[in-house]
Amino acid sequence: MSDVATTQPQSLWDRYTSSSPIVVTVYALILGLAFGAIIIIVTTPAVLDAWRGLFSGWNAFPHALNITFNNVGAAYRSIFTGSVVDPQGFWHSLVTGKGWPNTLTPLSETLTYATPLVIVSVGVGIAFQTGLFNIGANGQAVIGGIAGAAFGSMVHMPTVLHLPLTLLAGIAGGMVCGAVPGLLKAYTGAHEVIVTLMFNYVTYAFLLFAVLSTPFQQPGQSNDIGRTMDPSAVLSPLFGTKTGLRVSYGVFVAAAVVLFAWWLLNRSSLGFDFRVTGANPSAARASGINARKVIVVAFLVSGGLAGLAGVVQVASTTHYVDGGFLIGSAGIGFTAITVALLGRNKPMGIVWAALLFAALGVGGRNMQATTGIPLDLATVIQSAIVLFVATPVLVKEIFRLRNVSTERLQISTTGWGS
Amino acid sequence: MSLLDNSTKSMTASLAKNRRTRVIAALMAVVGLFTFFVFGLGTQSGAHSSLSFNPLNVASAPISLGSLTMPVRWTDLVLGLIIIALAAEVFVRQPRRGVMARFGAVAILFLIALLFWAARSGGPSFVSSVNVTSILVGSSATVMVLVFGSLSGVMCERSGVVNIAIEGQFIGGAFLGSMIASETHNFFYAAIGGLFLGGLIGLVLAFFSLRYRSDQIIVGVVLVTMLGGLSSYLNLQVLTPFPNFNTGNLAPNLAIPGLSKIPILGPVFFNQSGFFYVMIILVAVVSFALFKTRYGLHVRAVGEHPRAAASVGIDVIRVRYVNVVLGGAIAGLGGVAFMATQGQFQVGYTSGYGYIALAALIFGRWRPSGAVVASIIFGLSVYLSYNLQTYQVPVSLYILQMFPYLITIAVVAGLIGRVRPPAADGQPYQRD
Repeated sequence: MSDVATTQPQSLWDRYTSSSPIVVTVYALILGLAFGAIIIIVTTPAVLDAWRGLFSGWNAFPHALNITFNNVGAAYRSIFTGSVVDPQGFWHSLVTGKGWPNTLTPLSETLTYATPLVIVSVGVGIAFQTGLFNIGANGQAVIGGIAGAAFGSMVHMPTVLHLPLTLLAGIAGGMVCGAVPGLLKAYTGAHEVIVTLMFNYVTYAFLLFAVLSTPFQQPGQSNDIGRTMDPSAVLSPLFGTKTGLRVSYGVFVAAAVVLFAWWLLNRSSLGFDFRVTGANPSAARASGINARKVIVVAFLVSGGLAGLAGVVQVASTTHYVDGGFLIGSAGIGFTAITVALLGRNKPMGIVWAALLFAALGVGGRNMQATTGIPLDLATVIQSAIVLFVATPVLVKEIFRLRNVSTERLQISTTGWGS
Repeated sequence: MSLLDNSTKSMTASLAKNRRTRVIAALMAVVGLFTFFVFGLGTQSGAHSSLSFNPLNVASAPISLGSLTMPVRWTDLVLGLIIIALAAEVFVRQPRRGVMARFGAVAILFLIALLFWAARSGGPSFVSSVNVTSILVGSSATVMVLVFGSLSGVMCERSGVVNIAIEGQFIGGAFLGSMIASETHNFFYAAIGGLFLGGLIGLVLAFFSLRYRSDQIIVGVVLVTMLGGLSSYLNLQVLTPFPNFNTGNLAPNLAIPGLSKIPILGPVFFNQSGFFYVMIILVAVVSFALFKTRYGLHVRAVGEHPRAAASVGIDVIRVRYVNVVLGGAIAGLGGVAFMATQGQFQVGYTSGYGYIALAALIFGRWRPSGAVVASIIFGLSVYLSYNLQTYQVPVSLYILQMFPYLITIAVVAGLIGRVRPPAADGQPYQRD
């Protein structure tokens, strides 16, 4: 068998059973959803009761199966209708021409959630491509959000200037925050994972400090809530405020970021240096690439994008930061790690991955509201998917995929051993 | 030529080291001067704060001591001078070893000075006494959890696997521990459950990173995310509808007769829950096993140079599996211990202790004894930064909360002494 035959699948069957990145990703999605289904089954009392019926006789079996499919199906259906579209509402709108805002709300929410997620994930992906693990994107986004909210609320000027400068303030905030791990890694060898992890906590503390301190705290408030941004500094909704659709002009910012990242990685010499350094640091050094510069610049870009995501998040949704900003399940900087891995660190891949994870997150809220299954299931499914994506060999073994080359699917950073 | 290169290299290295030590000395001096002028001279001369030593828990109180009234001004002046003296010593002598320990001492002295100053009479707070024993007892709970976490890290990383999932093992241990303890009212079973679940999470980490050579850091981070989500999910799905699974019992204290009556030391060391004693034993066992036994030699060889270890017949993968599972079990036990001091499981209540433990492990240079010292420093500063709230310190407590993390960053960056991880830490190993 020649090389060509093994690398180019010929029939449809070959295509679905060979381990190309997309095939592995799709199978990882299936495995992740299956994992979520198992979690639903073993934790829903109604389903467990139905299966317990098996002790009294075989005829309980179809019933149990039925109940299981109903519960799992209802959960996943509500994720879909809550994040993409409700078919019934869609037909109603299509026939009568009414109720479009209502019908489009799920999609709008998904896009609203995905907008900053795409931006921050692109930043994490660029760092990954350089062989750097920016686990502190969340902290950088927090600082960017604070910087943007501060500039948007405490400085006053016309929109033409105010909005761009607010976004720039966010970028600058994120860059400052990203510069620390970059410089430390380049000049002292401090491992970026540890530094960025620690910096996350520093930024949380700073957030709470900022929203409770006099110049930034919302006037007349004693709670942990910052000032509200001027109308001239916010990203207004695309379809006006009347429709109630929250999707904002931020989507154009995200699109610009994706284009920029594509250009940077594929068309610029700096991006080439990034990728070479990520693929083979010693080869990069041998070919005269300034490793220190690459590390610092990659972290500046990554941090800057995270900061931009933070300010986009504030400017398109709440218009102020509070003590819970990007904390816990809202921590898009952590979701970004999984999004970047799922999207294989490529700008377009990240867009799809971010849309998917945003849909899971937004749909999860609907699932909790309609079926009572907690939305944290979305987090569990997301992390299961990424665990499988990060382990292509396992996916290959489970589905008996052929073509052995999983080397290039393997994602890796460097541990802190030298 | 190469010799020359080497000598210049080592010269520049030692110059850099000198510069670093001087930076640390300068930092310490700043802390000392701040203590001297702000806390010392900045206090009116009549102010005093009293130290009391009797724990609030009357049931097993040690021999009662009177309270000690300290003039704040003089105490803080002296503390400031000690810190400045330490800084001068580091600056002039530039000791090769122990710079980090001195820095830790300075941090603790500074915290003590801050505490005196915060609790001074005539200050903003109405409390002008500091209960030394209850501060030590309170922070010992935090320290204990950090020790468990960092010991887990030592076990894993000495064998060359980065266990960043400590936080996840804490969450898992605390969750399962709370369920078992609520059902059986017996913390022994809870501890077994925590050991088991932590070991299982370790096994998953080992499975993905050893068998499939996935990136250890990525797998660890994803595991933490997953366990965080899972605990939150199960909390709503299981613990909320069945509240008797999460009644929240605190582990009873087992007072050691006689010894627990010693003032100060008694309540801190000899009147604790079983987990505390287990922790002390575990530190000794892990130290001994890693540095005095054949098994420990194998582990360290695998962590430093797996190929060389394999060439003399050590089964690298097996050693790593064993250590990651054992390390995970220790962290799971830490999660139960945390739950046993906090009560009822709540989502997110481990609040990143697993990552602080990781920092403590690095600060402690991948040694059990170092990890204990680092855990004490970090645990004290975490506990005190919450505790200082009661004294209405004018500095935001959130700024104080940054310190453990900033210190860790400084350590990792080599600003305070140098740390060197095991050489193969985090690197996948492939059998030839």
